[in-house]
Amino acid sequence: MAERPQDDDAPDVDALIDQLRLTVEQRRSEGLYPAGLEDDLEAHFRRIVSHRVVPDTSALDASLQRLRSLPGLSPSRIPAESGVPGGAALHRAVAKVVSRQAQGILEQVEELASALRSVADELARALRQPNTHVHPDLVGQVDALQERMAALERQPLDSPAAVAELGRRVERLEVAEALRQFRAPFSAADFEAEFRGDAAALKERYRDLAARFEGCAPVLDIGCGRGELLELLAELGVEASGVELDPELAADAAGRGLAVGAGDGLAHLASLADGSLGGIAMIQVVEHLTPQQVVNLVGIALDKVRPGGRVIIETVNPQSLYVFARAFYVDPTHDRPVHPAYLAFLFRQAGFAGVEIDWRSPPPQEETLQLVGQPHLDANIERLNQLLFAPQDYALIATR
Amino acid sequence: MQIHQVLVSAAPGDAVTDAAFELRRLLRRLGPSDLYARYIHPELEDEVEELDHYGERASTTLEDDVLVFHASIGEPAVFAFLRDRPERLVVDYHNISPAAPFYPYDPAFAGLLEAGRREVAALASRATLALADSAYNAAELAAMGYADVRVAPLIVDVEPLTAAPELDGALPESLDGPVMLFVGQLLPHKRPDFLIQAFHVLSTYLLPEAHLVLVGAHRLPRYTQALRFLLSELNLRRVVLTGPVTDDELAAWFRRADLFCTASEHEGFCVPLLEAMAFGVPIVARHFAAVPETLGDAGLLLPPDAGATVTAEAMGRLVDDRRLHAGLAERGRARLAEFDPDAARATVLSHLMSVLGS
Repeated sequence: MAERPQDDDAPDVDALIDQLRLTVEQRRSEGLYPAGLEDDLEAHFRRIVSHRVVPDTSALDASLQRLRSLPGLSPSRIPAESGVPGGAALHRAVAKVVSRQAQGILEQVEELASALRSVADELARALRQPNTHVHPDLVGQVDALQERMAALERQPLDSPAAVAELGRRVERLEVAEALRQFRAPFSAADFEAEFRGDAAALKERYRDLAARFEGCAPVLDIGCGRGELLELLAELGVEASGVELDPELAADAAGRGLAVGAGDGLAHLASLADGSLGGIAMIQVVEHLTPQQVVNLVGIALDKVRPGGRVIIETVNPQSLYVFARAFYVDPTHDRPVHPAYLAFLFRQAGFAGVEIDWRSPPPQEETLQLVGQPHLDANIERLNQLLFAPQDYALIATR
Repeated sequence: MQIHQVLVSAAPGDAVTDAAFELRRLLRRLGPSDLYARYIHPELEDEVEELDHYGERASTTLEDDVLVFHASIGEPAVFAFLRDRPERLVVDYHNISPAAPFYPYDPAFAGLLEAGRREVAALASRATLALADSAYNAAELAAMGYADVRVAPLIVDVEPLTAAPELDGALPESLDGPVMLFVGQLLPHKRPDFLIQAFHVLSTYLLPEAHLVLVGAHRLPRYTQALRFLLSELNLRRVVLTGPVTDDELAAWFRRADLFCTASEHEGFCVPLLEAMAFGVPIVARHFAAVPETLGDAGLLLPPDAGATVTAEAMGRLVDDRRLHAGLAERGRARLAEFDPDAARATVLSHLMSVLGS
């Protein structure tokens, strides 16, 4: 057959097929078509073909067909001839006599045959309907198998090998965690005594802060240490209590008649009723917290302090380089310093009405760079002093 | 001279039987001409003679007479008959389905197909002439050693089908959404399983409202069953297996179809392609056997390596792109004109006459 010439408007089938292939590639790379889609479909069909056994009923069908096509019972199909001598007339006479009886028998046989044919048809139909010949025991066994299969599918987690592997992983995690944790070989009290100076001097340092809590009872002092602030508050007649992580320090403070419990201050704060505090103090504590704990603290403080109440957070000032050279790294449990600008931002964001920063503990004058009396040089020295010798601590005072 | 035809089996709706009836109408213009078959469907008992009765026929010109054998499957008794008769032999080759795809479902039938190929080859030296529906079939005959092979396209008259009355309720299902239609027996070499895979992709990712309708007899119970399992496991509720249909129903399906699709990997000619063209239904097919020859440029002919996804994309595109749809439908009508039944009749007669004399 001759090929017709291509008309210009006709679709270009080859180009179209190339385009279809590109579309498939694109959809595949975009994940619309899962990887291996075609192979999976083909393998799926191959599996069906190789595993399914379909009953072959063709022989049964043929037998039924033959049964249906058998002619009905009729006396005319019974030969009346006989080899017995006696002549045709006699045979016909006998046949006539017998045929009435035969007719009766045939009718009954036909009735039976017809009933049997419908039984056969019914059986064949039932054979094709699985639900008509399902044995309850068999169903029970299939159910039991499915349950066992489901149990096996859940198994892997319980298998000894998996448990052993999980055990090994937990052990490795415990080792890693143990290395990460700091366990001091010294007591916190000894450490405080060594590095924070004597209690009387320390108490003097916080007298002004304690005064800021007047009218803010009750006050919770988180990380109260030896309880210097609590003593100051007691002197001012401000009801206050404290929580201290270190049990030795807590016991010492409690022994001196202060309301101090040992435990995690943040958890204790969270457990209090909303609006039940007039003030929260955290002296030299936030630099031990993770950034997330700091954020959580501000939120919880907002809930627990009643309006008009006050939160005072005193901590090292990271704007002073002197701090890092001297005090900050002495304490191995210091996590990171918190910048005053950031902390103020957190409190304002949380919704505290007033936030102020009080700069504290300037380095001793004698340790700063001394002026030399030359204006240009002195201006630079001042700038260096501001950078190196800025106040070592700051207190953020937030009013709810 | 008498010309008679021999079939292994005669069944209504079978393409080979139809071709034999068509040829008998032609041959009876020339003289006595009957159809003989080894197996005859009860509906055709009045039309077709038992092969066993062939010898009872009266003829005075045995050596001059001709037997036209329609080869489509093996059958030892028919082969022995053809080999031993004195008449001249014309082999009309409609091709024989490849045996391999049948082995998993019906090994005995696969064996018959293999025997069929051997028997056709064994008749090569005995045949005066060989006719082939397509160049594809002709090439196979030549390879088997046939000397004189002529291509005579199948005589296909789509007119009665397109003229079938449009009856309400001719379709057993009321369907919304686009309909992908396949027409053909559900046999493994025609790959309806591949069509179902492609349809799975189409309806899952591209055209969820589409339907796939497979129209045709279920000749292989195990294969049909496997298809049903596949449908149920892929949860494809929008696939319809109609089983055999009447001409009116077939016409109704063609009128309803948005496209005709076949994934067949073996066809000697493929009549449904012409029927789809007649109804202006664009075609998606794969480049196998005689399909490209019959289809010509009148469809989306996918290369053999195009998988289910590309096939699905082709279906989706044909449904969406109305211009492409119309363009291919138009080409289909033009292509169909090249299979004019009268021309095909003339071709087959002239081939027969040139060899056999008038």
